[in-house]
Amino acid sequence: MEHALLTVNRLKTYFYTEDGVVPAVDDVSFAIKKGEVVAIVGESGSGKSVTSLSVMRLIENPGKIAGGEILFEGRNLVDISLKKMRELRGNQLAMIFQEPLTSLNPVFTIGNQLAESIRLHQKKNKKEAIKIGIEMLEKVGIARANQVYDQYPHALSGGMQQRVMIAMALSCNPKLLIADEPTTALDVTIQAQILRLMKDLIEEFGTSILLITHDLGVVAEMADQVIVMYGGQVVEQADVFTLFKEPKHPYTKGLIDSTPKIHEWKEELNSIPGTVPGPFEFPEGCKFADRCPFVMDKCKAESPPVIEIGKGHVVRCWLHGEKGLKLNESKSFT
Amino acid sequence: MHYFLKRVLEIIPVLLIITFIVFTLVFIAGDPIALLLPEDATAEDIAALQAALGLDDPFYVQYGRYVVNMLQGDFGTSFRYGEDAMLLVLERLPATIELAIASILVAIMIAIPLGIWSATKKNSSIDLLATGAAVLGKAMPNFWLGIMLILVFSVTFSVFPVSGRGSFSHLILPAITLGTGIAAEMTRLIRSSMLETLGQDYIRTAKSKGLRTGIVVYKHAFRNTLVPVVTIIALQTSTLVGGTLITETVFAWPGIGQLLIQAVNNRDMAIVQACVMVIAFFVIMMNLIADLLYQLLDPRIRYK
Repeated sequence: MEHALLTVNRLKTYFYTEDGVVPAVDDVSFAIKKGEVVAIVGESGSGKSVTSLSVMRLIENPGKIAGGEILFEGRNLVDISLKKMRELRGNQLAMIFQEPLTSLNPVFTIGNQLAESIRLHQKKNKKEAIKIGIEMLEKVGIARANQVYDQYPHALSGGMQQRVMIAMALSCNPKLLIADEPTTALDVTIQAQILRLMKDLIEEFGTSILLITHDLGVVAEMADQVIVMYGGQVVEQADVFTLFKEPKHPYTKGLIDSTPKIHEWKEELNSIPGTVPGPFEFPEGCKFADRCPFVMDKCKAESPPVIEIGKGHVVRCWLHGEKGLKLNESKSFT
Repeated sequence: MHYFLKRVLEIIPVLLIITFIVFTLVFIAGDPIALLLPEDATAEDIAALQAALGLDDPFYVQYGRYVVNMLQGDFGTSFRYGEDAMLLVLERLPATIELAIASILVAIMIAIPLGIWSATKKNSSIDLLATGAAVLGKAMPNFWLGIMLILVFSVTFSVFPVSGRGSFSHLILPAITLGTGIAAEMTRLIRSSMLETLGQDYIRTAKSKGLRTGIVVYKHAFRNTLVPVVTIIALQTSTLVGGTLITETVFAWPGIGQLLIQAVNNRDMAIVQACVMVIAFFVIMMNLIADLLYQLLDPRIRYK
């Protein structure tokens, strides 16, 4: 088996609030191989963003990584010093965010923000950093890169801003790019352009991507592997073809069914009944039990185990309890 | 630039309106004749002096004459000192400005580090201590703090002079007296706007780039809090130009505050007018400078 670039093993990220402990990420495991795109899908509050921020060690108080390990090229990011972590951030591990406008500092020029990490990580002088910065802007398809370099973020359109973010993230040639809803704030045509750009760049740079999204269209377009999260847990994981063809978890089915299809006429779109419960309102047993159309008594009583039902296809559901093969809990899934 | 030319020209009508308000208030307060003549002056003496000073004319004639003279650079003559009122005020101005700048510097030197510190270490003991210090700084009356500083540093330890203006060491105690109250307010403001900035998305971006905490805090966050900081500095500086009477009195500092209050007591209309004009001019200029700085500090702000 090819060695994984990033292995997340039984990660637990908890928020210690005044009202109690919120297990935002609860026992999540997955792995990303070199050059692979892994998507995490889920509704708001499913823990997908917290998972990605945990990998960057950017969880703010009162949040804390409470357990598990994050192995990046064999090094456990949970244990290394903040100084070591800073050397990785923006260098081998880069991140882009949902809102490109608010993610760029309004009072500094694009060039200033771009050159900052180039100078820091690649130890270049000012002149070289400017040259690399402008080259990066050209690479992400920005025309008049020379001029844009000296402009402020607010002077650019949303699509251009996200291109700048991508240029910044890729400027030090990272091994892993974490993209947290990179196209959500953009309109559909720009979304397609940005996705195309990201695809081209992965091919050119061989970067692996951890893609956080709630958009199954984006998943189908981009991902090799898909992780479906609900209530801080992985409920299903499979390669992208298997997941769309044979979703095994009722939640995954619900998500796929609620996506409008281009060749189907419908008065009303399907939706999963109910909403994601608040952090303290998840039911005992299976967290999806209250909204699940296939709910059984057992689901309400006991949390389902993670079951491998096909090669690399795991699901956390009692429906597959008999047929499936119970995984050894201490092992990673991939 | 066009915009600022307009702003500068706007100063003229604003100052005219201010002269009208001040002139009216001083007029209502009563004429100064009684204070200028001995108690046993006869009715003829009073009438003669009123006529000589033009105080028997109706209000609009007096105001009109004042404005016409003012536009020619003549702000009237002090009844009390018999000298040009504006010259008297301008003589005091350097002392006032010196004290104002020194006090603001004291405030900035305390407030910026303390504000940033308590924001980055929110709810820590440092933060609580800073909050306590801010409350204390704001709650201490200037006359009390001034006298205490004199008692400790001038009387007991003889480190600084008791009062008066002259060397740099004369400036220190009054500047600390005025600066602490301002520092208190500024610390709280910087803390809250730093907290807001530190929660912004671009701070997360900065961290995700692997920047050191110092750069994240001082470059990416603090730079974004400068607009409110400049605002409060501009406001406090204009307040300091006009309103430091108590501190000036405690330290026998020869500034505008003392001159103004004496002039009000003496109904020395020309000096009151000249003082208010100078203070108003400063307030307007400080606002203008602040607006100019906003543009430099935040590229999103552009005036048309």
